[in-house]
Amino acid sequence: MMASFCHFPASPPHQSLSKLLSPLRRPRPHPFLPNVLCIFNPNRNRIRAGSQFRRLSLSSSSIALPPEELDSSSLGDLTRPDFPILHQEVNGFNLVYLDNAATSQKPTAVLKALNKYYESYNSNVHRAIHSLSAEATDEYEQARTKVAAFINASKPKEIVFTRNATEAINLVAYSWGLSNLRSGDEILLTIAEHHSAIVPWQLVAQKTGASLKFVGLTKEEVPDIEQLKELLSVKTKIVVIHHVSNVLGSALPIEDVVAWSHSVGAKVLVDACQSIPHMVVDVQKLDPDFLVASSHKMCGPTGVGFLYGKSELLSAMPPFLGGGEMIADVFQDYSTFAEPPSRFEAGTPAIGEAIGLGAAIDYLMGIGMQRIHDYEKELANYLYLSLLAIPNVRIYGPAPSETVHRASLCSFNVENIHPTDIATILDKQHGVAIRSGHHCAQPLHRSLGISASARASLYFYNNKKEIDVFIRALKDTIDFFISFHGTEGL
Amino acid sequence: MSSLSSSLRLFSPKLRQTFPKSPFLPSKPFFFSSPISFQRLPRSPLSEPLRAQQQHQRQQREAEVDLSVLPPRLQEIIALFQTVAEPKAKYQQLLHYGAQLPPLDPRFKTDDHRVRGCVSQVWVRAFRDADDHAAVRFEADSDSALTKGLAALLVFGLSGYPATVVASVPPGFVHLLGLQQSLTPSRNNGFLNMLKLMQQKALQLYSEVGDSEINGVSESKGSNSGAKDGVLDDKNTILGEKTDKTGKDSIFGEVSSANWSGDSLPFGDLMVDGHGMNSADGVQKSSNGGIGGRRERIRQRLERELSPVELEVEDISYQHAGHAGVRGNGDGETHFNLRVVSKEFEGKSLVKRHRLVYDLLQEELQSGLHALSIDAKTPSEA
Repeated sequence: MMASFCHFPASPPHQSLSKLLSPLRRPRPHPFLPNVLCIFNPNRNRIRAGSQFRRLSLSSSSIALPPEELDSSSLGDLTRPDFPILHQEVNGFNLVYLDNAATSQKPTAVLKALNKYYESYNSNVHRAIHSLSAEATDEYEQARTKVAAFINASKPKEIVFTRNATEAINLVAYSWGLSNLRSGDEILLTIAEHHSAIVPWQLVAQKTGASLKFVGLTKEEVPDIEQLKELLSVKTKIVVIHHVSNVLGSALPIEDVVAWSHSVGAKVLVDACQSIPHMVVDVQKLDPDFLVASSHKMCGPTGVGFLYGKSELLSAMPPFLGGGEMIADVFQDYSTFAEPPSRFEAGTPAIGEAIGLGAAIDYLMGIGMQRIHDYEKELANYLYLSLLAIPNVRIYGPAPSETVHRASLCSFNVENIHPTDIATILDKQHGVAIRSGHHCAQPLHRSLGISASARASLYFYNNKKEIDVFIRALKDTIDFFISFHGTEGL
Repeated sequence: MSSLSSSLRLFSPKLRQTFPKSPFLPSKPFFFSSPISFQRLPRSPLSEPLRAQQQHQRQQREAEVDLSVLPPRLQEIIALFQTVAEPKAKYQQLLHYGAQLPPLDPRFKTDDHRVRGCVSQVWVRAFRDADDHAAVRFEADSDSALTKGLAALLVFGLSGYPATVVASVPPGFVHLLGLQQSLTPSRNNGFLNMLKLMQQKALQLYSEVGDSEINGVSESKGSNSGAKDGVLDDKNTILGEKTDKTGKDSIFGEVSSANWSGDSLPFGDLMVDGHGMNSADGVQKSSNGGIGGRRERIRQRLERELSPVELEVEDISYQHAGHAGVRGNGDGETHFNLRVVSKEFEGKSLVKRHRLVYDLLQEELQSGLHALSIDAKTPSEA
């Protein structure tokens, strides 16, 4: 395990800005979205004179101009100023926020969009004739179009806005599941699924008589794809699978899984909560039947998420929640229903929040998902290697290598110290925010033989300096407990 | 002086200056603070007013805790923490307490003893003190060192006191320790849930006062289920019945159940049971002062001790006739509603008022009185 990551290309600690802006890495221009870049470096308080340098922030929508030469800074350094929340102290220490897998922070652009909505044109959508309502409806539907473009869905109407990914999975389970699953049918999942991907199917399985099957882990601590192939059969009606694991940091070959599943006649629901914020996700390439994600993990506000579903599937699905908006005609004893996506959007939606999600997508596209992904690969390896170097630390999931790319998160345990203790002292004595617990993956923890783990998860606004602070703090924390236990077990 | 103290607050919020009742604190602990006084510059205009607000809130919370309801040993522990200025040292102190906790016998590491909602595993056990049957002792354990430290604080601070004293400890005392322990009720709040479970177990023991004399069986795990079931919302009704009582063979009376649902501690109508007598055992109900006349005895006692402006004693045992717990006590006198308006209650919290009444009626509780519903007010409140 130790040898594999030696092959990984070493990256320089600082990327020069010009390299970041090289043609290869320039964000792909997209027909719908503005193309912006951030060139502001907060750590050096100099602003270069001269026409080549323009000081811009990603929150504005002006066109970027490449500077000739600037101090090298990472994507993290460049984007930090856009996130006001990161500039604070907790318990007397500078905040180091490493809990991004739980939720991400929001850039000023998103906050401004939310504010602007409520200040200028808040109005109920799809209902009224008046100008404010028309504007709100336009922006709301524009947000839907942005989401569709973001994942390369062919039609905006294949995007259903929900409260979050959990609700989206429930939507599929109750709407598609209840009308398509029968006794004897199988639902295939992996042991590493999030509770939100497991529980709705348990509930629906109970009602329909279907059963759940789980794919286990390989010894590299990745879901066993070979076992998945074996478990697929004509009885399998749907495969519910994550793209990137929020605990193991591993990514699954979704294209392959979809191909194999379709060949036995099974549908595929992809939980993209941990992938969409961090990399390019193309639903036409991956070809899932359903895909879910939450806004709050991708720089958007809480309270909104979405379900992507192939239009022919959505059209055949009965309503999930009933109410206004999703109807066509309502009589006393029955109603007729709207076409998707409205059919699945009962009641007044989180309008401002959906628009905020649209602003988040603009922001992310302004940086470029590939660029974010490449930067995070560096962070991921740096984090992994730094953690590995600490004695008695056990990291879960696969080791990074040429072929195995980890997400920029590490779940780990320190021998003889409870993860809650680690997280508490990291917070109280160092201002470092990580998570401890089962991360909504109890079956996974049980199969790893542990009750809880600690997890540090990064996003593109983190940088290596913060990883260094975390590692120092972790060592300090470990010493704190060791010096207390004496030589007990260590 | 005030500017010095305010700057002290900024970097050592743990120090409290107002502790007149505790003999353990030095009167002016300023010498624990650093000689150099400086303020951290706020990073952003947003965070500074928020911090000041949080400081103020914290000071308010600390000031609200009534030290006198805390058992002396707990007060000592609090005082000790207050002499430790640095947060890191406080955590070391906490770990130190945890290390002193003896490991819990594995047979007690069961679901019944587990504190719900902790990410770490925490077990708590309550048992009667061998020497002093009115006192409760605790044992606890956890796989998290810090949680074990908190458990130890509670075990050392609360063991050896009567259940009513334990039950009236407000969780807010933890603010005085300066550990920034949150008291927001949530499934993740180990400290709060630990304290609640300990208080719950203590009260269960208290309700079985006298059992161990009659029958060698110690507090059984089975009795806990009765406590959980009998949760009542109506302020004026008495307790739920024990579900597994079989009448003649059982020796347990009705188990007390305060309103444990949700997040509140039982500072409202705290109900306490006396022990139910079993006719099969031949033990008579009110052995003191003759049969019948309990109502009179209660009246007289309360009148003598509390000089109430208003006093109502209502025997509502008929509402519980036919209970397993009442069987054999055909002529009632097991459940009473009390309404007392007295100056004696002034300055006392609700719990202390109830405690006062129970203490006065101890004999009745020991001799067949099952339950009291108490409405205790001062003349100005009535």
